[in-house]
Amino acid sequence: MASIARSALLKQAASASVRPAFHSSLRTAAFHTTARRALLPPPPQIIEGSVNDAAPVPPPSPSHGSYHWTFDRLVAGALIPMTVVPFAAGSLNPTLDAILCATLLIHSHTGFKAIIVDYIPQKRMPKIRMGFNWLTNLATAVVGLALYEFETSDVGLVEAIKRVWAA
Amino acid sequence: MNTQRIGTTALRRVAGNPNSFFTGNVAKIGFASHLNTQTRQVATQKLTPVDGDAITAKQRLVRPVSPHLEIYDKKQTWFGGSAWQRITGAGFSGGLYLFGSAYLVAPLLGWHLESASIAAAVGALPLALKGGLKFLLAWPFVFHAINGVRHLTFDMGWGFSRNTIISGGWYLWGASIVGGMYLAFFV
Repeated sequence: MASIARSALLKQAASASVRPAFHSSLRTAAFHTTARRALLPPPPQIIEGSVNDAAPVPPPSPSHGSYHWTFDRLVAGALIPMTVVPFAAGSLNPTLDAILCATLLIHSHTGFKAIIVDYIPQKRMPKIRMGFNWLTNLATAVVGLALYEFETSDVGLVEAIKRVWAA
Repeated sequence: MNTQRIGTTALRRVAGNPNSFFTGNVAKIGFASHLNTQTRQVATQKLTPVDGDAITAKQRLVRPVSPHLEIYDKKQTWFGGSAWQRITGAGFSGGLYLFGSAYLVAPLLGWHLESASIAAAVGALPLALKGGLKFLLAWPFVFHAINGVRHLTFDMGWGFSRNTIISGGWYLWGASIVGGMYLAFFV
């Protein structure tokens, strides 16, 4: 065989012998060694009662369920015109501004409560959950007072944003 | 018919109509020793219901937990509209709460958080920094507003087809970035 052909053949053979091994090791590594991250490791699992007890069903409460859900949506929907109108119309109405502040406060409060409900399980961390609930209540009261101060002694929320934006 | 075809036809015949001698004896003759190693003795044990429950309880205590978010499709986890709705909303609400609390204690600590001082401070910033800060406020605002309306339509039961949700998610990102840039640089 001519030396030119042989060298090409050798190259081919070498690449053929190396490549599959490389590929398979890569594939194996990607498939098997998913990085193990102990972010928020779960606490030890506990079995209450016997293994075949059904999960407890909470008593139905519309004020914690459907009424609350509908109220949240009404507040969120009401914020759309309240946010758009003052900037679009350019008019400053102190009453409208105060209503906007109050609605934003309610929206924020229920939003924080929803986050607490989602991420702090009542069953596993009842005390932390109660603490965060009361912290939110306290913060909402403080911020409500602050917004009252801001509305009565400063220029109002919409006008303040306008001025800072144009600064 | 060429010779190759004849050969395959013969093979098919053997496969299609296997004679009982062939199938029955190949295993015994050729692979008997291998097959023997495959048989396994199953040992059963009688348990009382209490013991069975104890084993189940022990197994449940070592149940695996759900995997970390990273193993899922990035398009759904990193760019999911509902997750960013919560992030942007919590950011604004947190900012409002921080500003409100600070505004209330400002007179006691000698801070100046009146709208006039803030406007003056922002006006003194270099242009690029001011634009960046405005975009950092404008983009989440537009995102939260558009996605809020989107979620309200979801709550009405509209737009729940898979394709609508997927394409709507990408339109949301595009529209919020364009809208945020408009509010930050042209208003």
